[in-house]
Amino acid sequence: MMTHDIEVAGERLTLHAHRALYWPARRMLMVADVHFGKGAVFRRAGIAVPSGDTEDDLARLDGLIDTFAPATLAVLGDLVHGNATERSAWVDDVRAWRRRHHATDMLLIAGNHDRHFDVASLGIDVRPGHLHVAPFVLAHHPERHEGGYTLAGHVHPGVAVRDGWRKHRLPAFVFDRDVGMLPAFGTLTGLHDVRVEPGRRIVAATPAGLIPMRL
Amino acid sequence: MTSAAWRRAEARLVAWFATQERRPAPFQRAAWRAWRDGRNGLIHAPTGTGKTLAAAGGPLIDAVLSPQTGLQLLWITPLRSLATDTAQHLAAAVEAMELPWRVLRRTGDSGSAERAKLRRGACELLVTTPESLALLLSYPDARERFTRLRGIVVDEWHELIGNKRGTLLQLGLARLRQWLPELRTWGLSATLGNLDEALHALAGDGVLIGAATKKKTIIETALPEAGERFPWAGHLGLSQLPRVLDAVLGARTSLVFANTRSQAELWHEALSSVWPEAPETLALHHGSIDPKLRFATEEALRVGALRCVVATSSLDLGVDFASVERVVQIGSPKSVARLLQRAGRSGHQPGMPSRILCVPTHLLELAEIAAARHALETGHLEPRRPMRGCLDVLAQHLLTMALGGGFDADAAYAEITSSLAYANLPREQFDAVLAYLQTGGSALASYPEYQKLVQTDGRYHVDSGRIARMHRLSIGTITSDGTLQVRYMKGARLGSVEESFVSRLRPGDKFLFAGRHLELVRVRDMTAYVRASTHRRGGVPRWMGGRMPLSGELSDELRLTLAGGSGGTAEMRALRPLLAVQDNQSSIPAIDETLCEATRTREGDYLFVFPFAGRLAHEGLAAVLAYRLAQMRPGDYGYAVNDYGLTITAARMPALDAETMRRLLHPWGLRTDIRASINLSELARRQFREIARVAGLVFNGYPAQGKTLRQLQASSGLLFDVLRRHDPAHPLLWQAEREVLDQQLDYSRLRACLLRVARSRLVWHETKRLSPLAFPLWVERLRGGIAADDWKTRVERMLASLEAGADA
Repeated sequence: MMTHDIEVAGERLTLHAHRALYWPARRMLMVADVHFGKGAVFRRAGIAVPSGDTEDDLARLDGLIDTFAPATLAVLGDLVHGNATERSAWVDDVRAWRRRHHATDMLLIAGNHDRHFDVASLGIDVRPGHLHVAPFVLAHHPERHEGGYTLAGHVHPGVAVRDGWRKHRLPAFVFDRDVGMLPAFGTLTGLHDVRVEPGRRIVAATPAGLIPMRL
Repeated sequence: MTSAAWRRAEARLVAWFATQERRPAPFQRAAWRAWRDGRNGLIHAPTGTGKTLAAAGGPLIDAVLSPQTGLQLLWITPLRSLATDTAQHLAAAVEAMELPWRVLRRTGDSGSAERAKLRRGACELLVTTPESLALLLSYPDARERFTRLRGIVVDEWHELIGNKRGTLLQLGLARLRQWLPELRTWGLSATLGNLDEALHALAGDGVLIGAATKKKTIIETALPEAGERFPWAGHLGLSQLPRVLDAVLGARTSLVFANTRSQAELWHEALSSVWPEAPETLALHHGSIDPKLRFATEEALRVGALRCVVATSSLDLGVDFASVERVVQIGSPKSVARLLQRAGRSGHQPGMPSRILCVPTHLLELAEIAAARHALETGHLEPRRPMRGCLDVLAQHLLTMALGGGFDADAAYAEITSSLAYANLPREQFDAVLAYLQTGGSALASYPEYQKLVQTDGRYHVDSGRIARMHRLSIGTITSDGTLQVRYMKGARLGSVEESFVSRLRPGDKFLFAGRHLELVRVRDMTAYVRASTHRRGGVPRWMGGRMPLSGELSDELRLTLAGGSGGTAEMRALRPLLAVQDNQSSIPAIDETLCEATRTREGDYLFVFPFAGRLAHEGLAAVLAYRLAQMRPGDYGYAVNDYGLTITAARMPALDAETMRRLLHPWGLRTDIRASINLSELARRQFREIARVAGLVFNGYPAQGKTLRQLQASSGLLFDVLRRHDPAHPLLWQAEREVLDQQLDYSRLRACLLRVARSRLVWHETKRLSPLAFPLWVERLRGGIAADDWKTRVERMLASLEAGADA
């Protein structure tokens, strides 16, 4: 199953295995920690990463936008990884992608990485701090906010799932009492292990489907 | 030039020996004269017999005859902690020879004053490590620094020869020999099974010089008493605590060797809970403990302030501690050479034998101890094979060459293939590594903006200061991936643990580390901050790659021993009741037999095979066997291995008998089946960690380096996935797969094992209960298995098992 429905703060949310969350009531698609251009930053520093990460991520976003036809795409921080130079091909790819989806509103809650790049120049509405969209507060850092349930990124949550004699470390959606965290969307992103504990809902994402964890 | 002058200078050295009431041993004189004749050589002798002076004598006499200033002699040591001691020892000899030489050491620990002196070229004798030598070679004026160099001595070459540090050193030596064709290379080594090869790898050609004195080694065993219940399986052996405590208290100072760091932590903890003396006389020493703490322990050992140190292989080599009277080995030493090395840490007084007490952690280890003793008596020692053609080390070295004055591709290829490590390197592979450095990857993939090496007028060099800086920071091949520093809130550093361990802990959780009970306060900037805890409970970190496989030599001896070859020992007498049970329920394999057992239990069917080929080869064999079983009858097969054999488990096993087993264990098609059976890419992904770091593909930024570098951290696993998808022909991927086959699965041993099985008589038993040989395998954690393995099936399986868990 590529999608899994979950109720958070009285709202029905649809989780997608491609590490995105869709909120049908507001026709809003959310992703976090995309890190566009990360491979390029590495290459410039002499670390050999083949290009292709940003194209892969854009293709997955295309698929999600086709599937849900959202009115708004909200990025919960770290849309880009670092600064660009005139040789950064990924910037052109991202611009072209933005033009393809000109009918979709896009907004970014600025994350710690986003200060390296002028995201607004891509035609994306940049909001510093956080944004109230009742009953949720969209943020980059997973902190409690008065007057809303926080949906955030930043952490790159991951969880180990046992599969017979082995374990897979998988990106995961994590929902606590006041704060929910999205998995990192970008291909070139790592994982930070979170604990499975009472009162916490965790849904692990694999390329072939979602796995709701049970305690 | 056997001149009178040489004899006069040599007499000075002999006179110095005399002041200490010693005389040069024949092997020492032989080494000095071989040096005089311009030869290279390898000196092999047990510790404490005077190898250092055997190697240093020649160059010192030489220096008296033709004094010069500037760096004359380079002394390479594998351990930073050894550098200080060696430098002092050599300085004393220099003084005795009345040479105006300045002796300096340069290691990763050296202070800035020492480094500055070195930059000014202000020393004649430099004691350093392979990594620091590589660093020296990476400066633009590298060649000028070494123009006066006459010789290199590599200490403890046996510790370096089998790993990538040894490969790196071979490349460094090739570089120096290229600049200085007259350079003499000498090595010091413990006894090895392949001394000729060791000499060849170090120096090309030369003389082998051995000490004639044979030190006696006595191996004792903590035998279970009559009627004592002794476990059939296990790794810890804590039930033997009273015996170990007795042994330790009966000597002035003891070293207790454990095989893994976790085992060392737990034994230290157990000993300290019953320690009758002042607590500070008991210490712990292993590779993850902070160097400062380790040096403090070594210093206390040196001055005789300690009664006991629990240690891992971290104390296998290093300076000799005169006060050590007793050595205890917890569990099987797994290799004859290691047993000899550890035993040699006691009894340094001339004429005294080395003694080691072996403490089995389970009954069958008694047979391993008896086998090890027999192997030692017959001089059956393990070889340490040099690694061949490591592309990651090559990548690192080429960058070092580019920084250290630049290079021309043809000349570099000739220089590199002059070393044994790369003697058979095909030009295409060399070019592929060069292409990786220049453009990022294979010609097929695109790596815009990437450029590490630049070519101008046919020479390769590095243009960017940032790349130079990063390379120098990450030089070396010893890796410590995914480790976090452990330090007190007040700042004192305790050492490092694996990230995966810390990620399972929450602030407030307790754990045992560096012999201390700690409480995690918080994790920040790759550091786990802790405070002392009063609670005596909590987990012990586990470190990766702890367990060594049983060596081939010891495996062969073990098969002989079990088959009755040396039945007269006390160990085998103590083992007799267990072997009687084995013989009763199944049988004891004769030397020309391969034993297979099948047992049906409530959880499922178990198949056991006992080739006695060591855990690595068994892992590959288990995967192949599971794969071949799945061809016979589809299903999920899990497996577990130990040093004696392997088990395959399934809900329902196909019908088997001796003839079917013979077919299943056939060597024919092994290479194909291993590729089909093992998730090579999964294993290669893990292996890739080290390769990526050595080849400069990931950068291990230091916390102190600040954010700009931390932005560049990516896990090697992630890079592996990206490379596999976008650049499958990348030379480093190829290197990873080869290392999996050669090292993780010990492919050559696996093949030899199957050839032997094919020649042997296959013995088949269906047992009602688990036999003593089968039992330890049954309690092993499952290591792997064969099952349909795309993400879709995985998801279905995980969902199903989560459902089942919820119903239970």
